[in-house]
Amino acid sequence: MTGERVPLAIEGLTVYHHAVDAPVIENLALSVKPGEIRGLVGESGSGKSITCMAALGLLNDDWQISGQIALAGNRTLQAVAERRGFDAAMIFQDATSSLNPIQTIGQQLTETVARLRRLSRATARRVALDLLKRVDLPEPEARYDYYPFQLSGGQNQRVMIALALAGQPRILFADEPTTALDVTIQSQILELLKSIRDETGMGIVFVTHDLGVIEDICDTVSVMYSGRIVESGPVTDIIDRPAHPYTSGLISSMPTLAGQIPAGIAGQVPAPGQRPTGCAFAPRCSEARPDCRTEPPRLVAFSAGRDVACLNPLGGNHAAEQSRLDHRHCPNKSTRQEPIAEIKNAACDYRVGGGGVFRAVSNVSFDINDRESVAVIGESGSGKSTIGKLLLGLEAPAEGEILFSREPVPLLGTVLHRAYARFVQLVPQNPYLSLDPRATIGNQIREPLIIHRIGTQAEQLHKRDELLEAVGLGPEFADRYPHEISGGQCQRAVIARALCLQPQMLICDEATASLDVSVQARIIALLRELQERFQLSLVFITHDLRIIRSLCQKVAVMQKGELVEFGTAEQVLSTPSHPYTRALLAAVPEKKKELA
Amino acid sequence: MMIRVITRRILRALLTLFLVVTFVFFVLRLTGDPVSAMMPDDTDPAIMDQMREDWGLNRPLAVQYADYWMGLAQGDFGNAYRDGRPALEVVSERIPATLTLTLTGFAFIVIVGFPLGILAAINRGTVIDRGIMTLSVTGFSLPNFFLGILLILLFSVQLRLLPAFGSDKWYNLLMPVFTLGTAGAAVIARFVRSSMLEVLSAPYIRAARARGVQERQIIWRIALPNAAIPTITVLGFMVGALISGSIVTESVFAWPGIGRLLIDSVTQRELAIVQTIVMLTAFSMVVANLTVDLLYLMIDPRQRYAATSGA
Repeated sequence: MTGERVPLAIEGLTVYHHAVDAPVIENLALSVKPGEIRGLVGESGSGKSITCMAALGLLNDDWQISGQIALAGNRTLQAVAERRGFDAAMIFQDATSSLNPIQTIGQQLTETVARLRRLSRATARRVALDLLKRVDLPEPEARYDYYPFQLSGGQNQRVMIALALAGQPRILFADEPTTALDVTIQSQILELLKSIRDETGMGIVFVTHDLGVIEDICDTVSVMYSGRIVESGPVTDIIDRPAHPYTSGLISSMPTLAGQIPAGIAGQVPAPGQRPTGCAFAPRCSEARPDCRTEPPRLVAFSAGRDVACLNPLGGNHAAEQSRLDHRHCPNKSTRQEPIAEIKNAACDYRVGGGGVFRAVSNVSFDINDRESVAVIGESGSGKSTIGKLLLGLEAPAEGEILFSREPVPLLGTVLHRAYARFVQLVPQNPYLSLDPRATIGNQIREPLIIHRIGTQAEQLHKRDELLEAVGLGPEFADRYPHEISGGQCQRAVIARALCLQPQMLICDEATASLDVSVQARIIALLRELQERFQLSLVFITHDLRIIRSLCQKVAVMQKGELVEFGTAEQVLSTPSHPYTRALLAAVPEKKKELA
Repeated sequence: MMIRVITRRILRALLTLFLVVTFVFFVLRLTGDPVSAMMPDDTDPAIMDQMREDWGLNRPLAVQYADYWMGLAQGDFGNAYRDGRPALEVVSERIPATLTLTLTGFAFIVIVGFPLGILAAINRGTVIDRGIMTLSVTGFSLPNFFLGILLILLFSVQLRLLPAFGSDKWYNLLMPVFTLGTAGAAVIARFVRSSMLEVLSAPYIRAARARGVQERQIIWRIALPNAAIPTITVLGFMVGALISGSIVTESVFAWPGIGRLLIDSVTQRELAIVQTIVMLTAFSMVVANLTVDLLYLMIDPRQRYAATSGA
């Protein structure tokens, strides 16, 4: 480099949590060159966010930090707080709640600019407007006086980026900044970050769990597992030829548009304080040797520019390919071509303030065949969840009709709806929120049987254990509470509960969206298996186009309440006919070669 | 739009007033007769009947009720039975004393409650926090008449620092205000603390720290205004607590306010005075609630937006 200050250099960072009484981050090194975008990837609980927070000195007294952190060449662990905003800035996943809700975005930005650049308010206001233009906020002058709640998530993220640029930092920590956004917005934000990097030469640490995003935006990547970096190097190198089995596992967990069945990684990240003596990944690693369990591996050079912490690194590119379960798409087996559910010219309205109505869905028609899976895709506000609600009888169609087994779907609150619940069940997005925190998993799975008065107690308990087994949990989970098990296990319990009444159709509304990719892959595999075993029809509502091929035969594409395209997964993904579908596909972050 | 929202709230307030007046009117007349309360037990029944006749108490309730409203419409709140003075005049004389007491009490609640709550929140888990919270529990656990008596025993009887009665010097206010405001200040401190803690863990606080906003700025400029929003509701309730608290406090300290007048008037069945006081109290509650609603709209842009978009 040209003697420019290194944006970020972290050496031997150890972060200790007093309450856990164990180090959460151990001996971590991370550096970013000017203009470099470094990805930081790993499952939740691997320590990605904590690393960023520690680097910015944002951790409170519950934490103890040791090691060297240099922001823009200022090697000052203690004085980090004073350099925040100038040397380093950070953006977060949920931009809307990261802005002060009761101050306009213009005021927030102007104040920050005035403070960080020592400008008068009038000058700062001009700079603030320039920044809003720079981040491509539409109509910046008008939006200057908007409050965060009046802007969309993507627009607020632009404001957050403008705030981050206020102090002209050398390093930007971006903690899952696009995870909550729609794909098309995500790709716009990624482009924006790249162009800002090109313009300012700022370094970026980009935290994400999405390897597709890493491939899209990052130059280098560091893979974190259980508080350590297990592998780092250039992105393309690592994605093509992962050396660490964990990296390989993550890669093979990524669903792809091409439709490879993601494999996932069994088990979960050990909690700090419960880490095994040897390699922390050994208990989940298929390549583990006896010495892996006793000797902690150090991060050492693997090849040019690459480091790996593994006693038995994978060689060549066999690993990633082999660990994919198979290359089949979802079987295009001809199901009984008989519709089990029919949506006919359906429209659905929601009442809004002032007595008006908002048409969430209009004139939508498609069928769901028996034992078939249909993906309903679209961005937020496209009406895809409303389709699910219509099918469940939770909303009444304003026009048209919704049929199940040729009968109109009964509405919630009617006598018939209770019986209908035995045919169609829901798997919602957030498994924690959809389980009662104060009831055991077992009782919640059994509850539908009690409500519908099915079977004796012994039969119900038997059914409960059978279902726990079917979703891969086992009867020993019956007495656990939701907070005692992981997110993936909670989602399995929710699926077991949905299957309890032996429904014919499951509505999965973003059922894997809040899970780690490694877990998501296994839930998808589970759904496939259960679909076969219980002969289910599936409606899979999702914003992630990459999981369609591995699970669904048909795709319905929704835009602004209308169905813009419907067809087989093959058709829609390979030869999309509607421009919107093409835009969605183009925005999917993944290696372009897989699109071919 | 804004005007419509405010008009709607004022109309609702008037309805509240109407219901309160009606309720009190009937309850008072069904629970005791002013004449027998006033005259000795051995009075000639004929005289008592004559008095009822004179005061219009023997008419059907509905007629009396209609008559009462007719009077109100003309600004006539009725007269006291004993000395025949207009009820409004009798009550008005007492307003300044009560207003002094309750307003000072309210200021005490805010001035003591807010800083203690903030102090506890920013020193969460420390001795300071625990100390303030212990004080707070003690504060709202003590019934205020008991606290008042304790204060008199300590400062007037034992230490002889403050007079137990009187209302003409500023220091006469000290003990009554402390008695009246302690419980409220304790509740507010607690509420401000939890509200501040919630706000301080919000993502926007973390984001502000990440861009280097000074901790003092974060607390006063960002956290406090956000934490104040839910606290305003509680402050609205406090007005009610202050009014009922002032009745007891005025009795303990022989404070010449409305509270004592109310107690005397109820025992003497001075219907017009009781009604006027109740109406006045209800009116101040309604005004307090209206103020809370308007303050909400002022502070919270989201509420403003929801209100003006007709939701």
